[in-house]
Amino acid sequence: MTRRAALSALAVPVLSRAGLGAVLLALAVLAGVTIGEVALPLGLVGDLLAVKLLGIERALDPIEAGILWSYRLPRTLVAAACGAGLALSGVVLQALVRNALADPYLLGVSAGAGAGAVAVTLLGLGGGAIGLSAGAFGGAASAFLIVALLAKAAGGGPAQLVLAGIAGSQLFNALTSFFIAKSANAEQARGLMFWLLGNLSGVRWPDVSLALPVVGLGFLVCLAHVRPLDAFSFGSGAAASLGIAVRRVQLVLIAAVTLMTATLVSLVGSIGFVGLVIPHAMRFLVGPRHARLIPASALAGAVFLIAADIAARVLIPGQVVPIGVVTALVGAPGFALILIRNRRRS
Amino acid sequence: MRIEARNLGWREIVRGVSVEIRKGETFGLVGPNGSGKSTLLRLLAGLMPRAAGEVWLDGAPLAQLSRRQIAQRLALVEQFADTGEALSVRDAVDLGRTPWLSPLSPFGPEDRQIVDRALAAVGMEGMAARAWATLSGGERQRVHIARALAQEPRVLILDEPTNHLDIHHQLALLGLVAALPVTVVMALHDLNQAMMCDRLGVMSDGRMVACGKPAEVLTPDNLARIFRVRAQPMIDPSDGSTLFRFLPMETST
Amino acid sequence: MPNLPLIPRRGLRAALIAAPLVAAMPALAQTSYPLHLSNCGVDLTFEAAPQSVVSVGQAATEILYALDLGDRVLGTSVWFSSVLPQFEAVNAGVPRLADNDPSFESVVALRPGLVAVQYEWHIGPQGIVATREQFADLGIPTYTLPSDCVGKDNSTGSDGTRLDMYTMDSLYQGVEELAQIFDVPERGTAMVAALREREAAAIATAGALALDDASAVFWFSSAEMDIDPYVAGQGGAPAYMMQALGLRNVVESNEEWPVVAWETIARANPSVIVLARMDRRRFEADDIERKLEFLRTDPVVSQMEAVREGRIVILDAHGMDPSIRNIDALETLSAALAGFDLQ
Repeated sequence: MTRRAALSALAVPVLSRAGLGAVLLALAVLAGVTIGEVALPLGLVGDLLAVKLLGIERALDPIEAGILWSYRLPRTLVAAACGAGLALSGVVLQALVRNALADPYLLGVSAGAGAGAVAVTLLGLGGGAIGLSAGAFGGAASAFLIVALLAKAAGGGPAQLVLAGIAGSQLFNALTSFFIAKSANAEQARGLMFWLLGNLSGVRWPDVSLALPVVGLGFLVCLAHVRPLDAFSFGSGAAASLGIAVRRVQLVLIAAVTLMTATLVSLVGSIGFVGLVIPHAMRFLVGPRHARLIPASALAGAVFLIAADIAARVLIPGQVVPIGVVTALVGAPGFALILIRNRRRS
Repeated sequence: MRIEARNLGWREIVRGVSVEIRKGETFGLVGPNGSGKSTLLRLLAGLMPRAAGEVWLDGAPLAQLSRRQIAQRLALVEQFADTGEALSVRDAVDLGRTPWLSPLSPFGPEDRQIVDRALAAVGMEGMAARAWATLSGGERQRVHIARALAQEPRVLILDEPTNHLDIHHQLALLGLVAALPVTVVMALHDLNQAMMCDRLGVMSDGRMVACGKPAEVLTPDNLARIFRVRAQPMIDPSDGSTLFRFLPMETST
Repeated sequence: MPNLPLIPRRGLRAALIAAPLVAAMPALAQTSYPLHLSNCGVDLTFEAAPQSVVSVGQAATEILYALDLGDRVLGTSVWFSSVLPQFEAVNAGVPRLADNDPSFESVVALRPGLVAVQYEWHIGPQGIVATREQFADLGIPTYTLPSDCVGKDNSTGSDGTRLDMYTMDSLYQGVEELAQIFDVPERGTAMVAALREREAAAIATAGALALDDASAVFWFSSAEMDIDPYVAGQGGAPAYMMQALGLRNVVESNEEWPVVAWETIARANPSVIVLARMDRRRFEADDIERKLEFLRTDPVVSQMEAVREGRIVILDAHGMDPSIRNIDALETLSAALAGFDLQ
């Protein structure tokens, strides 16, 4: 059999799996737009799709249609992008640093993004969303760098990395508080506390047009690196001897992770544990090979965060629970499982 | 594949090593702990950052090859390479195909056959589905070598490959390596095993202090000076090969 | 003011006992000492009128000024907006300890005869400045405005939860008790009488409109421009104003300032939207111009009846907290309703 024939033989299961994933994601998005604080008639979704996609004229209540189209759909799409991006970041970081506990939240990237955004706002560099995002990006990158260097200087083991991550997070959270406390003009400090909350209620279409391309790009970058990521299983030295340009791959992937995390944190604040728990759950389901792990984690992360956002909206009637609380409620026990499983293995 | 190295150096660990290894040769590296064997192997594989000196593979400068091109020519099996991932034996050996794959030429049936042959070569064909975490040290070492074989290299570099192996697998492995139609460079701890190499390089304090046929290099004089042992050569009457019996220096003085 | 969720509130349920101050005090010209008061669960005894006072909370500060006690005020703190114009002169002569929360030591250092408190979350069982016991240990009595404890549980919700609807009576009680403590009871009585008269007039104006099914929402601020806003719940001063003027509050939470999704508010489609104007700029949405812009541009909120019909009322934010400014707010809102076509 030639490679071409092999490719087409493989294509069928790959396509059917991709189809299953698309159906799952579509169902999750449907649930995301139909479940919420306000009950909307079920037929509204179909009517709205007819109006928006097919251009058919229907008389719709402008407020109900607006809630569905302008609030819930962008919110659900950003939740999906966010879940996928955080799960991908977790997979990549865990492979690169060979540590089951690595995720952007634990490694201080989220805290760095928050501090960076605050610093840029208070220093007045740039303006509007671009300035904030650039600040978040710079903060995320420098936090990751500091944590990585500190962990390396401390010996480079798993425990050192987690400790360095805690130190980095504390440092950047303290910097955030310091910048806010120091700013004489309360006008500049406006809304900055939002970084610490994790909230999707303010998401609108412009956020979608930022989140989806960034996460899509990140996904493609990860997909293009499934073999290098596999090659890191036995360490960066082994990866190099397998023909991986280790430095370049690390740089590209970390840039992708930082870009995704920084963008997502700048949109919805810090949401923890997704990057930790989803990749591990997916390793149980589809195994450690990244060709499967990457798409599975992206899909599961997207579905999980949509579900978490629904739970955040309906868990307590009439009150919104921060989504970070929901992900932590699921994530903390998941984290405990990983700890126990790691102990059994070693 | 011929390997030439000129003036290789890395910090104070390896200093001014020049060596030429011929096509198809099995070249052994011996030397006391900390003499720079592992670092020299990594230098030959082009894996040390900021290295001094130059390496040529069949006359092509290593520095001008990409990592992928190097990995298509040369495979390295290091000591202590472990993973926390729940990989199977086959997963680990599949990794050896990495330098030959790309998005346009994914893992295909030919690759699978190569992996099967590599597994069979180290006697692991029946254990392909076993989880990495359940393997013994010796089994892991054999999987690493199978992974290196799956790379289809023309140069195989091994760092103390017989570590962790029981005596049966030590001999089987050395026999396998000697029979491979590729250039082999390996660091060895056991001087009696080193005797089966075509040539030996002796490392001491970062320098290659001797290089040549085993019998010329592993002289009682050299062994006393470099390894600080008194070596008593003995002839095995069954095939006339030389064995060493080692005694502490103190007894001789 | 919404105590936005930066200060964690945990644990301890405050033992709140409504002060059973029956029958308004007879209009005596002088207080008879020792004066016994039950104040937000703490028994107070005054042997004589305190010579000095530090206020923690703008509402308390302005009541003291209104009672013409400005010369006794050693220091002020917790300012939400500029002082009322009629008190600018007296306020200029009083040191401001802090725009926001004063430190315990800075209050104690002035050795006040009394600390007058607007909110329990500053000085109370979980007070971020101190507990009342900490002041009592140093011999400094504290008086908390009953408007923050009568019928209110401050241990739940980010700004406490109203068990009973706020009424002006708890504020009037605070005015009269402060007047007694400082031995000027007749000033308290006169001030309350005047406020009651204005309150009744504002209610009468709205009553004449015979509103049938009018509803409203009070938007205080939002942590981010597009995010779920802080709005007035059932039971606080805004709820009292809405009820008094015949408006239904579309927010059903009992919290003082709950966070409610815009989709819920838009779907409820209130007839009137009331916006808070404030000097504070902690959040982008603190700015009244940004609030108005959001109402105009948000794809859903801009479709609400109140926005399309321009039925938007702007009130002083501090007038939405229990304070003498409630009456100003009530008058403004009542007059605005009279100008809308709500039938």
